[in-house]
Amino acid sequence: MSLQTWVSRTRAPEPVSVKRETAVVEPADLLDADYRDDPDASPVLCCTGDPAGAAAFGALWLKRIATDGRYAAAVSVRGQGSTPAAAGGTGAFVHDVVQAAIGLPRRTVLIGHGHGAAWCAEAAARYPAAALVMVAPKKLPKRIPKPVGSPPVMLAVSEADSQSKRVQAVTEAYGIAPLTFPGSGDEVFKGPNAEGLLDAVLSWLNRG
Amino acid sequence: MQEYSSQAAYDRGEAVCVIGAGASGLIAVKNLRENGFEVDCYERDTVLGGLWNPENQHCPLYPNTHLVTSRALTEIPDFPMPDHWPDYPSAALMLEYLKSYAAHFGLGEHIWYGSEISHVEPVEGSRFEVVVKPAAGSAARRLRYGAVIVATGHHWVPNLPSYPGQDRFRGTVLHSSQLKDGSRLRGKKVLVVGGGNSGVDIACEAAVGAARCVHSTHRGYWYLPKYLGGEPSDYALARLNRRRPRWLRRFLTDRLLKGPRRLADRMGMDRPEHGHTDEEPIRNGRYLEHVGDGSIERRPEITRFDGLEVGFADGTEMRPDVVVLATGYRPKITCVPAGLLGADGDPDHPKLLARMFSPRVETLAVAGLVEPGAGVLPMVHWQTHAISHWLTIRRGDPERAANFRQQVVSESAQYELESNGTSPRHALAVDAEEYLASLGRIIDTLEQEPAS
Repeated sequence: MSLQTWVSRTRAPEPVSVKRETAVVEPADLLDADYRDDPDASPVLCCTGDPAGAAAFGALWLKRIATDGRYAAAVSVRGQGSTPAAAGGTGAFVHDVVQAAIGLPRRTVLIGHGHGAAWCAEAAARYPAAALVMVAPKKLPKRIPKPVGSPPVMLAVSEADSQSKRVQAVTEAYGIAPLTFPGSGDEVFKGPNAEGLLDAVLSWLNRG
Repeated sequence: MQEYSSQAAYDRGEAVCVIGAGASGLIAVKNLRENGFEVDCYERDTVLGGLWNPENQHCPLYPNTHLVTSRALTEIPDFPMPDHWPDYPSAALMLEYLKSYAAHFGLGEHIWYGSEISHVEPVEGSRFEVVVKPAAGSAARRLRYGAVIVATGHHWVPNLPSYPGQDRFRGTVLHSSQLKDGSRLRGKKVLVVGGGNSGVDIACEAAVGAARCVHSTHRGYWYLPKYLGGEPSDYALARLNRRRPRWLRRFLTDRLLKGPRRLADRMGMDRPEHGHTDEEPIRNGRYLEHVGDGSIERRPEITRFDGLEVGFADGTEMRPDVVVLATGYRPKITCVPAGLLGADGDPDHPKLLARMFSPRVETLAVAGLVEPGAGVLPMVHWQTHAISHWLTIRRGDPERAANFRQQVVSESAQYELESNGTSPRHALAVDAEEYLASLGRIIDTLEQEPAS
């Protein structure tokens, strides 16, 4: 975020405040004794373009991220899940992601799926995320927003999409190589493909 | 004589020393860390949050302190306040905000509490030797740093006027920072001195609780309500600065300010001799209403104190029980030799390049020593963003650093104080709009790809 973008944002009306639904699983919440709790590990905040919102991550993602020792949260932006709809468009969805992020105890990893990946990419340009993970992104802005605080960035796309021009443009903008996963970009919440993808994301987060 | 421990100075290499863990210090630590610097932050008190923390033994808060700038224009750009907070958060919310900022970015582990910096001295060209005096009384420590950022703020040394006969006055005289608790005014005859935001806020407290409230000011101010045209007034005014021709901006601004202006005229206020952006305007919607219903009586400047009486320039007198001097603070930085900050001339306030860089040593900077009449936290964010980038470039590319230095000097020329009615108390005032534009140019230069 440059000073100029910040100035112009402060001169536009702030999106209406909504009561956002967030789902949280902390490592200590797990009854399963087989978890590691790493107090230094960054929390993770997930967000999807799917209308189910935070609930989409509940069954598999949040639990497995918490088992990995991280504070796991997901947010429903306005209109998703039980968060009331409100005016504002993309800018307001990004606002919701940033607001959810600052509510977490520590600097957080942003994981976005589908349209949610685009909102997370924009949010990472306003808030210094610990890392940015985009899973099967949809409608990323033409001009890829430059993240603040230079977080590590990961892009995961389905094998079918990996050769597309758009994906190449995105990986070029961030200077990274994409990770590919089998199956469709919409089926990331359950099934063996989803588990493989999630494990790849977690081991990327835990590397080094 | 300073007593040093016998050891030689401990060398912290390229690490940066930040002095003060208030809002400015915390932002400095976070931005330096983000740019890969090792940071040691020294705080003389035992708590973080600086002036916003009532547990700080020098805390300057007065009863019921709230922000005078709106939330969206006061929050740190990359860590917004929760959007369900009120437009003008209280001091308690501000402290909560700063604590969550520190926790979120793990700043606590870089802060040394109860450690006052007693001396900073340039050594080996652009490095510094810093003397840390622990409050507990054990021996002072000497350390060496690659750079020093002073973030001690400017709300610590009360600016105290003196009037003829004041020493023989038999009532209570307090500076606003000593008031602490509004109950001290209850049922008393109160005289509030000073027309700034603190004076006006305290007068409003006294207007409700005290037996009588007299408010003495010696010049004209801009009195703005906290809301204009259905929006927080700083936002409403800033919004007019969007890309528009200058004449249209002026027309729209005048139209927005006309109402408050006419009301101030009706209440018999002096017309300010400066523009509304030249120094911090008074932002209090209740004040003029209290003047209008007679619960605040306005007086000109005090001419004398006499036993139990106080006389004013218009010939009137009163017998106050309590006199509250809401006369602000002096910008005084004691831990660094005045010469390094250009504060050895006359007047003796610091004269910094672009309001942040030392004019003498390239690796010394001050964060937050401005009064922009807008939220200070965003200014400090961009200042420390620039300072961190500058230190990074200086390390790697001396040629670019030299060019940049020249630009900063020319940017600074703009802030030579044009003293058009602004009092010496307002030596730190900058026009937020111009200062931000200037910071923007400085940051753009720093972030340009190096010419290869």
